[in-house]
Amino acid sequence: MKNLQYFLVISLLTFSSCKKGFLDVNTTPNNPTAVPPSVILPNITIATAFANGNDLNRAASVLIQHAAGVANQVAAYDVYNLDGAFDNQWNSEIYNGALNNMQVLIDQYSATSPAYSGIAKLQQAYLISMTTDLWGNVPYSQAGKGLLFETPRFDKQEDIYQGNSSLGIVSLFDLVKDGINDLGKPSLLLPNTVSDIVYKGDLTKWRRMGNTLLLKLAIQISNRNPALAKSTIESVLTGNNFINSNLLDYEVPFASAVGNRNPIFDFNNNLRTGDMMLSSRLLTLSRNLNDTVRLAKFFTKPTGNFVGFDNGSTAAAPALANRSKYNAYLTGTVGGEAPIRLMTFSQVNFILAESALILATPGSANTYYQAGIMSSMQKVGMTPAEITTYFTTNPTVVTLSGTTEQMRQQIITQKYISWIGNGIEAYNDYRRTGYPVLALALNASGDNPNVLPTRLPYTPAELARNPNAPNPRPKSDVKVWWAL
Amino acid sequence: MRKAMLTLLAGIVFMLTAAAQDRTITGRLVDDKGAPVAAVSVTSSDGKNGTQTDRDGKYSIVISNKAKTLTFSSVNYETTTRSIGNLGVINVSLVNANSKLEEVVVTALGIVRDKRSLGYASQSLKTDQIADRGELNVVNALQGKIAGVSITGASGAAGASTNINIRGITSFNGNNQPLFVVDGVPISNDVDRTSNSLFDSQPANRALDIDPNTVESVNVLKGPAASVLYGSRASAGAIIITTKKGSTKGGKTEIVVTSSYSNQTAVGLPKVQNDYGQGLGGVYNPLSTSSWGPRFDATPTIANGLIVGGVTQNYKAYPTNIIDFFEVGSIFDNSLVINSGDAKQNYIFSLSNANNKGILPNNSLDRTSLKFGANTVLRDKIKLGGSITFTNTLQNGIVGGNGGSALGVLAGLARSIDLTSYKTKGNYKNLDGSNNFLIPNIENPYFGANENTTKSNVYRYLGNVNVGYDITSWLNVSYRLGLDAYTDRRKQVYAVTSIRNPAGQIIENTIVRTELNGDLIVTAKKSNLFFKKFDATLILGQNVNQRKSQSVFLQGDGLAFPGFYNISNATTLTNGTFETNTTRRLLGYYGQLSLSYSNYLFLELTGRADQSSTLPKSTNTYFYPSASVGFVFTDALKIDNGFLNYGKIRGSVAKVGRDADPYQLTNVYTSAAYGNNVAAFSFPLGTTAGFGTSARIAPIKPLTPEFTTSYEGGINLGFFKNRITLDVAVFDQRSKNQIINVALAPSTGYGSKTTNIGELSNKGVEVLFTVTPVTNKNFKWDISSNYTRIRNKVLSISPGITSFSITGNAFVGSVPSIKVGEAYGVILGGVIPRSPDGKRIINPATGLYQPLIAGQVLANPNNDYSLGFTNNFSYKNVSLSVTCDFTKGGQILSFTSGLYKSRGVLAETGVDRELPRILEGVIEFPAGSGKYIPNNIQIPAQTYWQVLGGLQSEFNVYDATVFRVREVALGLDIPSTKFTGKFLKGVRFSVFARNLFYYAPNSIIDPGVNTQGAGNIRGLELQSAPNARTVGANIKITL
Repeated sequence: MKNLQYFLVISLLTFSSCKKGFLDVNTTPNNPTAVPPSVILPNITIATAFANGNDLNRAASVLIQHAAGVANQVAAYDVYNLDGAFDNQWNSEIYNGALNNMQVLIDQYSATSPAYSGIAKLQQAYLISMTTDLWGNVPYSQAGKGLLFETPRFDKQEDIYQGNSSLGIVSLFDLVKDGINDLGKPSLLLPNTVSDIVYKGDLTKWRRMGNTLLLKLAIQISNRNPALAKSTIESVLTGNNFINSNLLDYEVPFASAVGNRNPIFDFNNNLRTGDMMLSSRLLTLSRNLNDTVRLAKFFTKPTGNFVGFDNGSTAAAPALANRSKYNAYLTGTVGGEAPIRLMTFSQVNFILAESALILATPGSANTYYQAGIMSSMQKVGMTPAEITTYFTTNPTVVTLSGTTEQMRQQIITQKYISWIGNGIEAYNDYRRTGYPVLALALNASGDNPNVLPTRLPYTPAELARNPNAPNPRPKSDVKVWWAL
Repeated sequence: MRKAMLTLLAGIVFMLTAAAQDRTITGRLVDDKGAPVAAVSVTSSDGKNGTQTDRDGKYSIVISNKAKTLTFSSVNYETTTRSIGNLGVINVSLVNANSKLEEVVVTALGIVRDKRSLGYASQSLKTDQIADRGELNVVNALQGKIAGVSITGASGAAGASTNINIRGITSFNGNNQPLFVVDGVPISNDVDRTSNSLFDSQPANRALDIDPNTVESVNVLKGPAASVLYGSRASAGAIIITTKKGSTKGGKTEIVVTSSYSNQTAVGLPKVQNDYGQGLGGVYNPLSTSSWGPRFDATPTIANGLIVGGVTQNYKAYPTNIIDFFEVGSIFDNSLVINSGDAKQNYIFSLSNANNKGILPNNSLDRTSLKFGANTVLRDKIKLGGSITFTNTLQNGIVGGNGGSALGVLAGLARSIDLTSYKTKGNYKNLDGSNNFLIPNIENPYFGANENTTKSNVYRYLGNVNVGYDITSWLNVSYRLGLDAYTDRRKQVYAVTSIRNPAGQIIENTIVRTELNGDLIVTAKKSNLFFKKFDATLILGQNVNQRKSQSVFLQGDGLAFPGFYNISNATTLTNGTFETNTTRRLLGYYGQLSLSYSNYLFLELTGRADQSSTLPKSTNTYFYPSASVGFVFTDALKIDNGFLNYGKIRGSVAKVGRDADPYQLTNVYTSAAYGNNVAAFSFPLGTTAGFGTSARIAPIKPLTPEFTTSYEGGINLGFFKNRITLDVAVFDQRSKNQIINVALAPSTGYGSKTTNIGELSNKGVEVLFTVTPVTNKNFKWDISSNYTRIRNKVLSISPGITSFSITGNAFVGSVPSIKVGEAYGVILGGVIPRSPDGKRIINPATGLYQPLIAGQVLANPNNDYSLGFTNNFSYKNVSLSVTCDFTKGGQILSFTSGLYKSRGVLAETGVDRELPRILEGVIEFPAGSGKYIPNNIQIPAQTYWQVLGGLQSEFNVYDATVFRVREVALGLDIPSTKFTGKFLKGVRFSVFARNLFYYAPNSIIDPGVNTQGAGNIRGLELQSAPNARTVGANIKITL
């Protein structure tokens, strides 16, 4: 008995250290379990811009022949070797970066602080349009919702743009309108100059961004659903509350501090300085249009002359120091602080010019066309004198003429130049209109070496983990829905 | 040798208390050398009582008048019987039984057992198989010697970590390194990886802090049955390290001084050509990193681009420009051990220092350790002991990996580039401190090695206290408290103008880990419990474990000016700066009942229940049992026919549970960051914070513990009086309900969800085979060999998920993965499409291969089987030990090999370079017909080799079959009898070599490396340091 008592005493001594609460140590001290919307908003904005300006932009920029790939991945994209790429973009930038956090704002703040959910919806519509434009059918209505839908459906592009109530798909147009509507509701919490890095808390400017997005969405589907495109554009014109100045562009600021730099700078001027440079084909186009003053805003001339490289070429690239690479307009004067430009006033002008031309929406196509060139030249920092000189010496370039198709080619070609640095928008227009006319890259390879890719291949991780992903994936020569 | 191991019995030896009996006999048992023998069972012929000798070989037994004889039996010695008569003291000198199979081993919780009684496999190594071999990492010292264990070092760089897996991989995302236990106390063997393992300097695994000079024995517990008492922690097996103890022969003071010096050289690099230099397409190009330039006897003769003393250097070959970058390393290892005292009161003091200058510039390891331990017995009943070890480990390294690192540039360095002039400090950088190299925008290897440095400074304390109390002769209570605490202060610098961080970067990372472990163990032991020869031991225990860690990671970017590496020189401190704290606690309750009949039939039942802080309250208590049987049929059937003298069959079934990592149950937000090594962004943006949901989403259903179930069977046989022994184990392990962050479709908005899912199977065979071909008075030859064959298979993941990547850093295009139907850890990447008969398809337009099909199995790092064999020869006082190992199969993807090819540096690329090549493959002809003809399209040699040299190409996947002379040691013992004075008791000289020779028939590089070191990612060589060969000499003086 006595021995047993000893045993009990020792046991109790041990157990006394294990009183209630001993195991209650599983609350993380490392990360917050709740955060205010003011720190999520900057994240979704940067994520959208980073997705637009990073690897997708590099791929689109070489495919569209703004730039040429010299080494590594960009060189592979240049000859259409796209399979296996873009996991980081799809996974970390789009769906688990921007979209999921937009969903958090929408789910948590629609009721109490719709100013946040409204901006989230507008940016979500922009992000989804970018994603579906590049890949075609993509997860949308079931995406970004965590364990609610573990294998999100790949919504058809036509449903994403036009909606499909039987499948619960809200059209991007309705999503934008819903977002604009949210902005008008009373909101407990409001974005301010710190948390709203684009418009500094000015919700009226976000309304303009939303209406401009409607224009972009409308022109994108104009091949397929001209009626919806026309009515949308006319309604936006009537409302007259869209981006109507270079100062109102939907562009996301970056900074020159390490870690805050825009991905165009960080890639080209910091970490992969030798991978891409000016395409000699763009150089030829610019020279043909006498537009090299503007080109010099986009690309450097380290030797005093432009030094380009042909797309897909296997020849030795020019010496690194001599190459024409992205200039300060895209990379920043200090380094990295240039914004990523997502929707611009010149884009608005070109959209309205094109729709006036092909959809007979109000306004003069030529007026909008010239305003588009003008606003682009102003945006990149050409002096008024330089712009005037260009307009006076190149009347045929700056004036629409010929058949509707020829005029459309003029519009899209100018739009193409204005989008240097944002290859995705130029790539969208090219696949929609076929302009500017591009020759295949040299040494083309990929799914089909005879076709400039019409879409990006689905990414390995999504294919491996989502049984709803089309398998086998569509080849990159299959057109997306809005491309005829 | 065994003596010290047996001293571990201290905690569980039972002393007999006096009762109403007739008289007491005492005595002391010694072996043939006069050393005390512990744990000998002493029984009297009256059958009433039994006892065991203590660590000093002493016993005390109370007998009745009826007792006529005393019997002394032990597995390691021949059983001896003495008549009692009127004697009060009976001292016996036991005769050593030649019984390799019948040794005692240290099992879970430090319980010393007869090996014959175990129902599962266990293998141990003694100090002379580990120490004095020029190896500082105790894990590396096990290479080639243990069946069922796979060990691969990261590289030959000083302090680089080593991966060890026992019986394959059992957890998808958990730690698959075994639990390390030193003197009964679990310690951390973590790598504490806070850097990107693709590009870092190969930090150490913390078992490196253990000085092999202080190790008495290492016992490897392989399966769940062996390690179940350790609970979850040991579900990947356990390495039980027992350090030397204080008591000496005869209670005197013994001083051992050991000193060794060795040299290290880099081995295992591919062979190079020396006919062509820098350039492309046969044309000299000073900007090129390749050797596709003109022949050396052709023009240009002066065009190297390298200017030394104002003179442009000749365009010529520098045949040793790569290998000369590696330095002759050295290891200087000194230790002093003082033991004193007897079995009751003793102490040990040891001091050691090992200094390893690595094979890379600026790469070193310096370890100093100090230990004091003491044991005492109070009032004959209470045993009190403890030790404290202090270790300081300094590691200096240089960053490696693809691209902007010294090793990245060096891999396939152009043949005409001479680095020697850059070696001088000051030449590799410009006056303003910036990188100076003849190729712009390429990092000078010496700039990288000297300016982009990493340092780790570890202060570690290991302490333990044991107290044991014999309540009665059959009941003992003991408590053991252990502490493992260390601080690792790391600093990594990227100089301004370094290629990876041109703006410069300083990282200050402080890692603090502490582990407290307490075990209360009650042991009851009875011989002849219900009937004669039936012995029972019951152990009940309780375990309290707490592990805490903190990592403060301060990242300073954008250095204000070069050359000043204080964090205050950074202009941005917010990118990547974070703090991580973890606390986890575990309460365990366990019991073990061991029954034996007549010392030939054994049954053991074990159960453990754990309560973990990391699981939800509803599921955080979980129980797991094991059962094992052993049957020595030769004893039972009295077989000893001169041929077969020992035979045992054994079997076990065991289940072991494992809890989750801390903080898996809630969703969190993290500061957002985007991009990778080609472009990156991280919040805050100026003063604007940005947060987002973490990529991992918490479970909806409560997490439950994961379980591994193991079935094991085995046989031990001894022939010709154990001149030949065979130990075979077969096992089948299933790991289910894995707690993993299983990959989610990225479009869910999350990368993974924590859940219980998936199943992994490991089946294997282990064979240990020993032969003593010759043994006589002067000469003895022992051969010990082991064979391991493990088949691992991922049986299921989650519905809809066929594969996902292993947690860790990976390059897109060569991703170590978990894929259903494949072995764990296959590397997924792009492979060239094949024709129906398996030939690679060529693009008829280019003569090059068709675009890759992504997401295919590129390489499988799991080997077919491995063999290890050690020959020990001893002639009088001279001994020679040779350990070789052979690994069949397994694959490695080697970036270095790729660069040697694509850069035109590999020897073969210099052969017939002017002649065109044809890639091996077929062309579909006519197009679309499904018919194929052999490829006949000629391409230039440069294009050919650039195709074969694509970094992640299937052509850089090599069969890792390798034979290696792992270790050779030649020793000369001068015994004490040679010395007349009392001062010197023994001297041992030895010379040794490690990694003396290897032969890898199918690989152009030594495949015995694993760049990312200890962890679940295997089979990648990513331009790390090569392996090292160590040759040295050792002297050991015993005073």
